[in-house]
Amino acid sequence: MNTLPMEYGLLLAGILFVIGLVSLLIRRNIIFMLISVEIMLNAAGLAFIVAGARWAQPEGQVMFIFIITMAAAEVSVGLALILQLYHNLKTLDSDAANLMHG
Amino acid sequence: MRLNDLTYLMPLLVLVGASIVTMLSVAVKRNHRVVFGLTVLAHLVAMYFLLPLRGFTYPIPPFLIIDGWGVFTMGLILATSLFVTMVSYAYFEQREERKEEYYILLLLATLGACVLVISQHFMALFLGLEVLSVSLYALISYLRTREMSDEAGIKYLILAAMSSAFMLFGMALMYAVTGTMAFPEMAAFLNSGQEMPLLFLTGFGLIVVGVGFKLGVVPFHMWAPDVYEGAPAPVTAFIATVSKGGMMGLLIRFISETNGYRYPSLLLIFTIIAIASMLAGNLLALRQKNIKRLLAYSSIAHLGYLLIAFLAGNQLGVEAVSFYLVAYFITTLGAFGVVAFLSDNVRDADQLEDYRGLFWRRPATAAIFTAMLLSLAGIPLTAGFVGKFYILASGVNTQQWILVGMLVLNSIIGVYYYIKVIAVMFAQPEQKPELRKVLHPAISFASGATMAVLGLLLVWIGVFPSTLVQLIRGLLVTFMASL
Repeated sequence: MNTLPMEYGLLLAGILFVIGLVSLLIRRNIIFMLISVEIMLNAAGLAFIVAGARWAQPEGQVMFIFIITMAAAEVSVGLALILQLYHNLKTLDSDAANLMHG
Repeated sequence: MRLNDLTYLMPLLVLVGASIVTMLSVAVKRNHRVVFGLTVLAHLVAMYFLLPLRGFTYPIPPFLIIDGWGVFTMGLILATSLFVTMVSYAYFEQREERKEEYYILLLLATLGACVLVISQHFMALFLGLEVLSVSLYALISYLRTREMSDEAGIKYLILAAMSSAFMLFGMALMYAVTGTMAFPEMAAFLNSGQEMPLLFLTGFGLIVVGVGFKLGVVPFHMWAPDVYEGAPAPVTAFIATVSKGGMMGLLIRFISETNGYRYPSLLLIFTIIAIASMLAGNLLALRQKNIKRLLAYSSIAHLGYLLIAFLAGNQLGVEAVSFYLVAYFITTLGAFGVVAFLSDNVRDADQLEDYRGLFWRRPATAAIFTAMLLSLAGIPLTAGFVGKFYILASGVNTQQWILVGMLVLNSIIGVYYYIKVIAVMFAQPEQKPELRKVLHPAISFASGATMAVLGLLLVWIGVFPSTLVQLIRGLLVTFMASL
């Protein structure tokens, strides 16, 4: 059976990662920024699965489950923060959240 | 997993257990004093179980390893976290918000940092890092009615999640090349081949992004000033010490296990980061009017100094890193402790003007703050001076003249802005009525005692450094033999 070379999978993961990174940098809405981060995390997860498949080990998929779990925890805290921020600022524009001029 | 492993993991288990017990006690009845007592007790018990682990090297394959370096950094993290807890009591007592959950989050963050420094596998590393990070998101925005707190929290969350993604992608690439996620096997793989594969190097570069973010070094430092300013003062102290120190501990373990000092390209990356951090940190600190932001930039510079010792890479280098970590932790805790101590229930005392004439109003507090600032500047008779001297020695020892020159130059720049703050404290106060609600002395006793202890430690280590050096050498003897 012909299997795909590992590089293809890693390339796909790399492209996804860059898409996530670019959209994180150009989006101004905080929810979309959170989504972009999720895309990046999932790209990393995909890379783990590809790497695990290359060595025929379960570790890659185990790591993916860890990543999903962590991403869920992160999003739940993130959404709580976003709610609080919206309550204070009445907008989700990340430029508005710039009291400290950082 | 053997039964014996549990004795070696007791410090971690105590922290886990304590966070659960604390959570249950909050569910039964909210009582700030009880929760505070439980947290302090948990730290003491964890340290008690840590003591007998000295001098062993006990791997718990495949995830963890408990050795001299791990015990040293865990002890440092636990002690630091204990000091942060002590300072937090008075700070949160005067606020209306629900304060009990803070201690649970603090325990969990400490647990994460402890796992981080004893991990020898990417999975353990990742879990430790994320337990630390997710607790920190909540801690930073803990005073949720303050807009700045929320803003700092969301900024840290987005950037930390992004840096975790970088780190994970880097790990995946390294795993794809080597077929293992454990550090010792990875080292075996690297030792078998001559060249470092390109994909591996890319992976390492991505991991550096994640590490650099947590350390807050240039060019990954953008979050530091805002988060330092927005977070409650005790949490800022925690981020500046435990979070950065934990990452430093991991970095040293990873590089020494995989023998990373062989690769000039890796050393070059860290050299550039160190120089950029020292310069940017010190130059940007010059113009700050906000004490928390000033300390943020100063801590960027200090991590740059720390990287010099890390780059030396020999036994002297590790010793210098250990010593400097202790000195830097004491100093930072003391400085933020003073900020927390002076804060009222509306806002933190973070403007330079809050400190005008402090010496005439509160001489003891001003004296401790002065000592901490002098230690940050590296003036003799303080721990900071000995630490900086140690770093200088390790840099000279490996003939990194550029780094040594930058260290000296930057120390001179640094003195200017530390002295500026001290001068403000000694200036004559404008007659301004103190609006601050005076706390009951018993409440601020914990903070006051903690800062007195920190001040004494600072001077003691500065005058008699040999005790600490002997302690570090004793703890790290097996770890350093493997370098």
